[in-house]
Amino acid sequence: MTTSALSVDGLAAGYDNGPVLHGVSLYVAPGEVVAMLGPNGAGKSTTLRAISGLIRMTEGQVRLAGSDLAPLSPSARARAGIAHVPEDRGLFRGMTVAEHLRLGPRKEKLDADAAYEYFPALRAISGRMAGVLSGGEQQMLAMARALARKPSVLLLDELSLGLAPLVVERLLPVVRTYATEHKCAVLLVEQHVHLALGIADRAYLMASGVSSSSYDAHVLRNDMTLVQASYLGGPEWASEFEDESKLPFIGEEAQE
Amino acid sequence: MQTILVFALLGLGSGAVIAAVAIGVVLSWRGTGSFNLAAGASVMVAGYMFWAFRTGFFRFTLDTWPAVIATLAFMVLYAVVIELLAVRPLRTASPLAKLVASLGVLLLSQALVQVIFGTAPLASPAVLPDDVIVVGDVPVPVAQLILAAGVSLLAAGLWLIYRFTRFGLATRASSENEVAAVLAGLEPSSISVMNSILANLGAGMVGIAAAPIVGISATTIPLLIVPALAAALFARFTSFGIACAAGLAIGVGESLIFYASTKPWFPNRNGVALSGVQPLVVFVLIVVALWWRGSSLPQRGDLRERSLPRVPKQEQLARRMVPMVAACAIALVVLPSEFRQAVVTGLVGTVLCLSFIVIMGYVGQLSVVQLALAGIAGFGVARLSSRYGIGFPLGPLIAVVMALIVGVVVGVSALRVRGVTLVVVTLAAAVAVEKFVFANPDWGGGQTAVTVEQPSIFGVSLGTDAGFRGLGGDLPSPVFGLCALVVTAALYAFVANLRRGELGRRMLAVRSNERAAAAAGVNVRALKVAAFAISSALAGVAGVLFAYDFGTVSTSMFDVMTALSVVASVYVLGVTVVQGAVLGGFGMVGAVVPLILQKWVLPQNQVGLYVQLLIGAGLLLQLRFYPDGILIASATKRERRRVERLRGSATPPVQPANQQGVAA
Repeated sequence: MTTSALSVDGLAAGYDNGPVLHGVSLYVAPGEVVAMLGPNGAGKSTTLRAISGLIRMTEGQVRLAGSDLAPLSPSARARAGIAHVPEDRGLFRGMTVAEHLRLGPRKEKLDADAAYEYFPALRAISGRMAGVLSGGEQQMLAMARALARKPSVLLLDELSLGLAPLVVERLLPVVRTYATEHKCAVLLVEQHVHLALGIADRAYLMASGVSSSSYDAHVLRNDMTLVQASYLGGPEWASEFEDESKLPFIGEEAQE
Repeated sequence: MQTILVFALLGLGSGAVIAAVAIGVVLSWRGTGSFNLAAGASVMVAGYMFWAFRTGFFRFTLDTWPAVIATLAFMVLYAVVIELLAVRPLRTASPLAKLVASLGVLLLSQALVQVIFGTAPLASPAVLPDDVIVVGDVPVPVAQLILAAGVSLLAAGLWLIYRFTRFGLATRASSENEVAAVLAGLEPSSISVMNSILANLGAGMVGIAAAPIVGISATTIPLLIVPALAAALFARFTSFGIACAAGLAIGVGESLIFYASTKPWFPNRNGVALSGVQPLVVFVLIVVALWWRGSSLPQRGDLRERSLPRVPKQEQLARRMVPMVAACAIALVVLPSEFRQAVVTGLVGTVLCLSFIVIMGYVGQLSVVQLALAGIAGFGVARLSSRYGIGFPLGPLIAVVMALIVGVVVGVSALRVRGVTLVVVTLAAAVAVEKFVFANPDWGGGQTAVTVEQPSIFGVSLGTDAGFRGLGGDLPSPVFGLCALVVTAALYAFVANLRRGELGRRMLAVRSNERAAAAAGVNVRALKVAAFAISSALAGVAGVLFAYDFGTVSTSMFDVMTALSVVASVYVLGVTVVQGAVLGGFGMVGAVVPLILQKWVLPQNQVGLYVQLLIGAGLLLQLRFYPDGILIASATKRERRRVERLRGSATPPVQPANQQGVAA
C-alpha cells in the first residue's frame, strides 16, 4: 500500500449528533482518478472532510504517501499536499481572482500561470471579486486555486453542484488531464454518475457510511445495477458485506 | 472662528486615542473575529506600564526610549497572554461568548491595574515635544498634531499591510472563510496572534504618547471604547482609514461641543452648561451608523456552527422556590443588621439580574443598559417624591414606567441589529444616561447622593425604617426585606414561567435564528420590543428597590463598569437560567458574597475592585471550562444522566456531545 498516494483504512468519524462513517477503506494511486458514488447521506463528503481533517476521526487510519495523517492539523495536512475543494467551493467572496491565486502559507508558491493555462477564462476576470462571479466561474476559480497549489492529493466535492451540465463537461476533463500530467491522486465525489465514471479509473460505492470494494470504472459504466443498488438498497449491495454488523442502519431496520 | 479652529485642533489629542482604539477594534474583528471591548484597556495598560518604567515604580527608572521599548515588549506579552487566555480557547465559541471574554479581559485588566497602581489618575512624563505652534494668535501644543499624524500613519500602514502583504491577504482570507483558509494551509490561530500583537503594539504606542495629553486613568481610558465603537461602526469593522478618520472626527467634535458649552446659547442651568452632551451625541451617532449601515455589517465565515448556551427547562418551580424563600425570610429576621442589609441587596440584585436573563438568556441580545435603566427608576422614585410629592405606591410605578419607556426606546433604536452589535448601542446608551441624566443635578444626582423617602401605605411603613426590627433590634428593618422578598419571588416565578410559555418559546426561536423565526410566523420586531419592555421593567423594579434599600441614590451606584461586572457575573453563572440571576444578585457588591469576602477574606478597602478582579478571572476560567455557564453545565449533566438512566442498557450510550474540535 505504500505506493498509493492516499490510503484510508477502516475510517470511522462523525459529527456532534452521532457517527456517520462506520468503516471506510479506499486507496488512490498517484495519477489515478477515483470516484466515490452513493446516495445523499452516504458519507461521501464526510469522508473527504475526515481526510482533510475538518472533522476528527474516531477510528481508522488515513495515510498520505504512506505517512499517518492523524497527528496533523487540517492546515498542516493542506501544507503536506492535500487540496480539498469543498462543496461550497471554499472561496473568499471579498478577494479578487488574482488574490486567490496568490494566497497561501509562507512556504507555498502558487503557480498562477499554470492555473490560467488550465482555465484561460479566468485571466480576463482576474481583477474581479470572487463574490460576483457566476457559479461556473467560481467553480473554475476553486479548481484553479487547488491546481495552482500543485497538490499530490486532490479531493473534489460535488464539482457539479449547481452548475450547468455543459460547464461540468468542461471542468471534468481538466481534472483528468491534471491527474495524468502531474501524477496527482484525485478523489472525486460526484452526483453525475455517468460524467464521473467517464473520467475515473476506478470507483467506490458508498451507502450508510460504509464503502464497498473498488470497481473498475468501465465495469460500472457497462453495468449500472450495482450503482443502482447502492443508491436504492438491494441484494447486490448487501452481498458486498458478509458481516451484517458492518451495515449498521440496514441491519437495525432489518431487526425491527 | 479662530477659537473654533483651536478647539478643533485640541480635540485631535483625544481623537487620536479614540481612533487608535477604533483601529484596535477593527483589527480584532478582522484578525480574530472577536468583538473586542478591551481595546481601550490596552491603551490604559500601556500608559500605566510606561509610567511605571519611567518613574521607578518597579524600583528602577528607565530613560524615555528604553521605557518605550520595555513597554512595547510588555504589550507583546500582554497580547500573547490574552490570546492564550481569552481568544484561543474560544475560537469555536459563539460571538456572544467571545464578546463576553473580551469583557472579562476588560474587567480583569482594569481591576488589576487599579490594584497594582492605585485608583488615582497619574501624570505621565511627556514623550512628545511640548512645543507649541501659534494658530492665529492662540498657541496649540504640537504634541496633539503629532499624535493625530501618528495614528493616521498607523492606519495607513495597516491598510498597506492588509492590502499588499501575504500576511494581510491571509488575515482577510481567514476572516472571510475560516474553513477555506484552513484548507488553503493557513493557520488561523497564528494569524490571530499576529493581529493581536499588532493591535496591542499600536495601542501601546498611542498609550505611551497620549498618556501625558489625556492623562492616565483606569476609569476613563477603557471607556473610550464607546466612541471608538461608534467610529468602528462607521468603518463597518473593516476599513482602517474610516475608523481612524471617524475617531479623530469624534474627538474634534467632542472638543467643539465643549467649546460650544461655554457659549451663552448652549442649554444651561443657572449658567452651568448641561453636562454629558458628548456621550449623548456618540449614542446618537451609533444609532445613526446602525440604521445606515447596520444590516451590512460583515459576518465572518467560521469553522463550525456556533452553538448557544442551552436553556434548561424550569421544572418543579414551586417545590424549589419554597425552601429558598423560607430561608431568606428567616435570614432577614435572624441575621445581624449588616448581613440583613446584604440579603436585601442580594434580593434586589436578583431582580436586576433577572432582567438580563430575559434579554440575554432568552432572546440572546446582549444588553448592558439594564443598570442604567435601574438608575433611571431609582432617581425617578427619589425625585418624584422630593420634588412632586408623589410617594408610594404611585411614585415607584411611574419610575418603573419611565425605565420601561427608556429601555424600549433603546431597544427600538437597535431593532436593526442583533446579538453582539446590540452591545454597542446599549453600552453607548448606558454611558449617555450616566453622563447626561445621572450627572445632571436636576434629573439625577449630580455629584451628590439624593435621599429617598421610604415607602409607607396608610401610615404603615414598609421601608427600612419600619417599626419591626428583627432579632438584633437595629436598622434596617426586616419589613422592607420581606417586601423585597415577596417582589423578588414573584418576579423570579414570572421569569421562570416565561421560559415554559408561548412567549418564551417565541423568544427562544428568535434567539436561535431570527430569519427562521420570522418565517415561522414570529413577529421578530414586536417580540424584541416586548422582551426589551419586560427586561426594562424588571430593571426598573430593581432600581426602585435599590433606592429604598440604600435610602439614597447616587451616580456611582449605576455606573457603566458596575453594569459590565454584573453582566459578566450573570454570564459566568448561567445566563439562561433564573438560578443564575439569584447567584449573580447575591454576588453583587453590597450583597452577601462580597460582604463575606470583605469581612474575612479580602482586604477591607476596595472590595469592589477585588470582586471585579474575581469576576473577570472567573469569567475567563468559566468560558474556558464551562462555555455555557456553570449552572447550565451542571443542568446539562443532570439531564444527560437522566436520559441515560431512562434509556437503560437497551441502546448503546449516546456519543458525548463535546467530542468535537478540529484534530490538533
